[in-house]
Amino acid sequence: MSATAADRAAVASARPAEAPLGYAAGAWRAFNLQLTLYRHVWHGTVFTSVVLPILYMISIGIGVGSYIDSSSTGGITYAEFIAPGLVCSVAVMMLGNDMTYPVFGGYRDWGGGYLAQRSTPLRPVDILNGHLLYAMVFRPMTNCTVVAIVLALFGVYSSAWAALAVPAAVLVSAALAPWLFFWCSSLKNDAMLNAVFRFAIMPITLFSGVFFPAEQMPGFLQPLVWASPLWHGTELARAATIGIAPALPPALHVAYLVALCVVGWLLARRAVARRLNF
Amino acid sequence: MPAETNQTLVRAQDLRKRYGDFEAVRGVDFEIQRGEAFGFLGANGAGKSTTMRMIGCVSEPTGGEIEVFGLDPRRDGTAIRGRLGVVPQDNTLDNMLTVFENLTVYAGYFGIKRREAKARAAELLEFVQLSGRSDDKVDDLSGGMQRRLAIARSLINRPDLVLLDEPTTGLDPQARHLVWERLFQLKQQGVSILLTTHYMDEAEQLCDRLVVMDEGRIIAAGSPRELIDTYVTKEVVELRFNGLHTTDLAEIASGLGGVGAQIEPLPDRILVYTDDGDDTSAALEVRDVRPSSVLARRATLEDVFLRLTGRALAEDEA
Ligand SMILES: Nc1ncnc2c1ncn2[C@@H]1O[C@H](COP(=O)(O)OP(=O)(O)OP(=O)(O)O)[C@@H](O)[C@H]1O
Ligand SMILES: [Mg+2]
Repeated sequence: MSATAADRAAVASARPAEAPLGYAAGAWRAFNLQLTLYRHVWHGTVFTSVVLPILYMISIGIGVGSYIDSSSTGGITYAEFIAPGLVCSVAVMMLGNDMTYPVFGGYRDWGGGYLAQRSTPLRPVDILNGHLLYAMVFRPMTNCTVVAIVLALFGVYSSAWAALAVPAAVLVSAALAPWLFFWCSSLKNDAMLNAVFRFAIMPITLFSGVFFPAEQMPGFLQPLVWASPLWHGTELARAATIGIAPALPPALHVAYLVALCVVGWLLARRAVARRLNF
Repeated sequence: MPAETNQTLVRAQDLRKRYGDFEAVRGVDFEIQRGEAFGFLGANGAGKSTTMRMIGCVSEPTGGEIEVFGLDPRRDGTAIRGRLGVVPQDNTLDNMLTVFENLTVYAGYFGIKRREAKARAAELLEFVQLSGRSDDKVDDLSGGMQRRLAIARSLINRPDLVLLDEPTTGLDPQARHLVWERLFQLKQQGVSILLTTHYMDEAEQLCDRLVVMDEGRIIAAGSPRELIDTYVTKEVVELRFNGLHTTDLAEIASGLGGVGAQIEPLPDRILVYTDDGDDTSAALEVRDVRPSSVLARRATLEDVFLRLTGRALAEDEA
């Protein structure tokens, strides 16, 4: 090109050079959109984080539980059995909100937040990370903590280690959120969002050993259970709340969830970069 | 002129963008200088928005070279976008947020601190006359107000160059004049402006220089005056014939040989390009054509556009 080096330098230095945008700063800036949106709707989440767990505990924990012999749940009450899984389930339910329609809509020109973010210093990867920071860290850290506290009222914890159920829920979110982002980034129309619920959110919620021991599932469904991040999280959470040994060494459960998160993030990063190159 | 105004902000060379088998931008060259208001004209689908997106570093070119602020978009997208203001064709405002939040959240993307963001947001809402709507949801604004909000938002980072894709499409005349006035003001503050438009009067009023695009290529470039001087005669005589349309008019036009410099039949009228409107009107009287109305006027950019693309803009917009 014909520009002289001096000309180029003059234009480039018209402003003091800003420090390059780091991943953490980029994610934080993008996260503010979700946080601002959340301020408009947070009261709606009270249902998921307070009312719903109470309803579950009363109807299933106590109601159904009165028919269940504690020998089938390893010598603990049914309410104690389902409480840790509930904390993690709420995380999955929240992802059903936060990582489906908002991701799909984020790319659309009728108000999709990603499009506006794209014309700013934020890179596609920052846009991804900002949304993940909200859905897989902020939301479970806050809402699942509330759920865990509400459940404490039912006397279902054996020690203070029960607090670790929340990080277990965060891990479940982390394992799942990038995959949902990846999936919803490729959807052509919103009717296909139903498939995400039908083939991801629903089966994960049902077949993860939250409401009954996973070993009681028919053998051909067992691989589904082992694959489910919610099962791994529930095993960890149950170990924390009532000290039942998990199916695998805890480190393996954690490693599996982290691995899912990393692979999902790599896929999501590629998807968002493609979708946001117009 | 001070040296600074001669700096090149955008430099494109043989710039191309291909979507699958279709090449939307087919090798364009242009330079935009600091302090300039630069326009892109062209019919629907000419490639204006596509070119804007490449300048805005949100679309990677599939061929050619582009430099913005002397930087390479492939490498320095973040730094470039930090100094650009962008008003996309479709606003991309966040419907779930209030008017004010749309500005402050957007400011956050640039790393502008909260307090500063609020101050700038208030100032910009004043600038586009939306102060009273600060706490309304974007959904409750009219189309024209949303457009003004998008313009306000594009200025939140005090950009060196603003890209406006059809800034006044869909605005009522009053809102349009407000936007024009604001763009003039920005220019006076030394902000460079790059805009696309379908309105020739807008281009004539706002742009120091412009290019006309057609099917992904630049087919003419220059100041509005230069374009008029180069591509059309000084004046144009418009002939209308009550009740007569396309084919009839073409027939009449073919019988007018020798009058004026060139004759262009349109679906609803015939244009006679000429350097002297009165002479030509007189010459027409002698012929046995009986137009229902004859109007001699100065040639405009609209005529340039018509000559260059062979189409009236209004037809494309329909
Ligand atoms: N993402 C895309 N995929 C495929 N084709 C595209 C894409 N974006 C634009 N095009 C095509 O590229 C061409 C130029 O589009 P562009 O939006 O740049 O036109 P324009 O000059 O801005 O038109 P308008 O005046 O209607 O806004 C069109 O034919 C359009 O269909
Ligand atoms: Mg366009």
